[in-house]
Amino acid sequence: MTTLVVASLSAREVGRRWVALALVVALPFWFYLVRRDATGQSLRMLTLGIGWAISTLTLFVVNASRGVDPRLRLTGASVISIIGGRLLAMTGVGVGLALGYWVLTVVDQEVRHPWAAALMMLLSAVVAAPFGSLIGALLPRELEGALALLSVVAVQMLADPAGLTAKLMPFWSTREVGTYAVDGGPTTMVWHGLAHAGATWLLCAGATLAIFHWRLRLVRYPEP
Amino acid sequence: MTDWPAAFEAELLRLGVQPGRARRLADETTQQAAETAGAPGEVFGPAHLYARHLVAELSAPAAAPGRTRFEAGPVMLSLAGVGKRYRRQTVFSGVDLTVRGGEVAAIVGANGCGKSTLLRICAGLTRPSAGTVKRTPRVGLVPQDGGTAGWLTAEEHFTLFGSAAGLVSGRARSTGVHLATRLAWRPARQQRAQQMSGGTRQKLNLVLGELHAPDLLLLDEPYQGFDQGTYVDFWQQVFAWRDAGRAIVVVTHLLHDLQNVDHVLDLGER
Repeated sequence: MTTLVVASLSAREVGRRWVALALVVALPFWFYLVRRDATGQSLRMLTLGIGWAISTLTLFVVNASRGVDPRLRLTGASVISIIGGRLLAMTGVGVGLALGYWVLTVVDQEVRHPWAAALMMLLSAVVAAPFGSLIGALLPRELEGALALLSVVAVQMLADPAGLTAKLMPFWSTREVGTYAVDGGPTTMVWHGLAHAGATWLLCAGATLAIFHWRLRLVRYPEP
Repeated sequence: MTDWPAAFEAELLRLGVQPGRARRLADETTQQAAETAGAPGEVFGPAHLYARHLVAELSAPAAAPGRTRFEAGPVMLSLAGVGKRYRRQTVFSGVDLTVRGGEVAAIVGANGCGKSTLLRICAGLTRPSAGTVKRTPRVGLVPQDGGTAGWLTAEEHFTLFGSAAGLVSGRARSTGVHLATRLAWRPARQQRAQQMSGGTRQKLNLVLGELHAPDLLLLDEPYQGFDQGTYVDFWQQVFAWRDAGRAIVVVTHLLHDLQNVDHVLDLGER
């Protein structure tokens, strides 16, 4: 109940930030447009852009709620309903964004496995929400958080996809699934991507919950 | 009239107040008068009389003669020897306070003496470094600032906080609107918290603190931005809560509030 209310109101909050929302929607598009002539590059850039946009938006939502969360806890909300509701909302926004861009790429590009392209973008959005939450939990100030996200996305963009560094980055899964979607290859690439995304999601969501459990803990006093 | 602070401080000294504390009280009183855009003499009356009044209030805060009072109820909050340290710095120590249902306690003191920290300890948001706290489980907190979501309307806040307390959306909204009218405020449907004036946002804060009918209300200078009428409404609301058997702890720097309360805890003296 509380989870759904938090999710619905978080989505409403994001929906009212028109300028931020417009920039978030546009950001992956610029990534896509720059390399539109090359299908593989444009899709990979677009997907990374989706991840960056959703994680940044989640970071801002998490930071904006910092003053409300302790009061919600005092009023009776559990940590999991607060954090879970927010993750649900941001994942929903991300899935909507990913599906919109998937339609664009299917119409505008020749993609060998369109379903894998959809999966790639969905994975990016789904991983981005807890990743943005985790950065928000670790770095309470928006500027520091945004710079950290920028660093991660830049490393992800520039690192050799076969190397260890790229695999340690949160969006490696989308690159793996994207290669299958555009160039084809064994389906194990998709499974590797799914496994990486699942592990990243669990790690980021689990760490976010653990940090907020600690930060929003209430001292239990005996009754007089 | 310009000598009012000096006359006030001199009278405090004559009445036995320590020099540093007398200076602080004089500064705070002058500041309060400035906040109401009036000269101290117009706001507080003659300096020597206000000094005597203040010393009497600070030394015998429990007395509230001439007012119809209800029997104090069960203990809602009990602090014994509570202290807080950040690394090697002691913020305060040895704080004792007992507040029963139907009582109002005020926490006063200089800036940075730990008033808000003590309130957070009472709420359970901060762990004390020393001492014992006993508290009723149903507690409402009204922070000094923040505590609201800028992009949500008042009714959405009621829904959010109501759901945290287990209230269905419709009931939470109607309760919130009802509580708001007691503060002479009718929430506008489309107005978001960030579009509200500071005083209106504080009213929202107050309603959110009370929405789940807590037994103990912790208020951290809740009247920031209130105009004179709302300020009076606020204290009437505090008395209504008190008369309904609730316990209220209010952090304040307005010294003339102290005549209205049952206990005064001065952290500045510690």
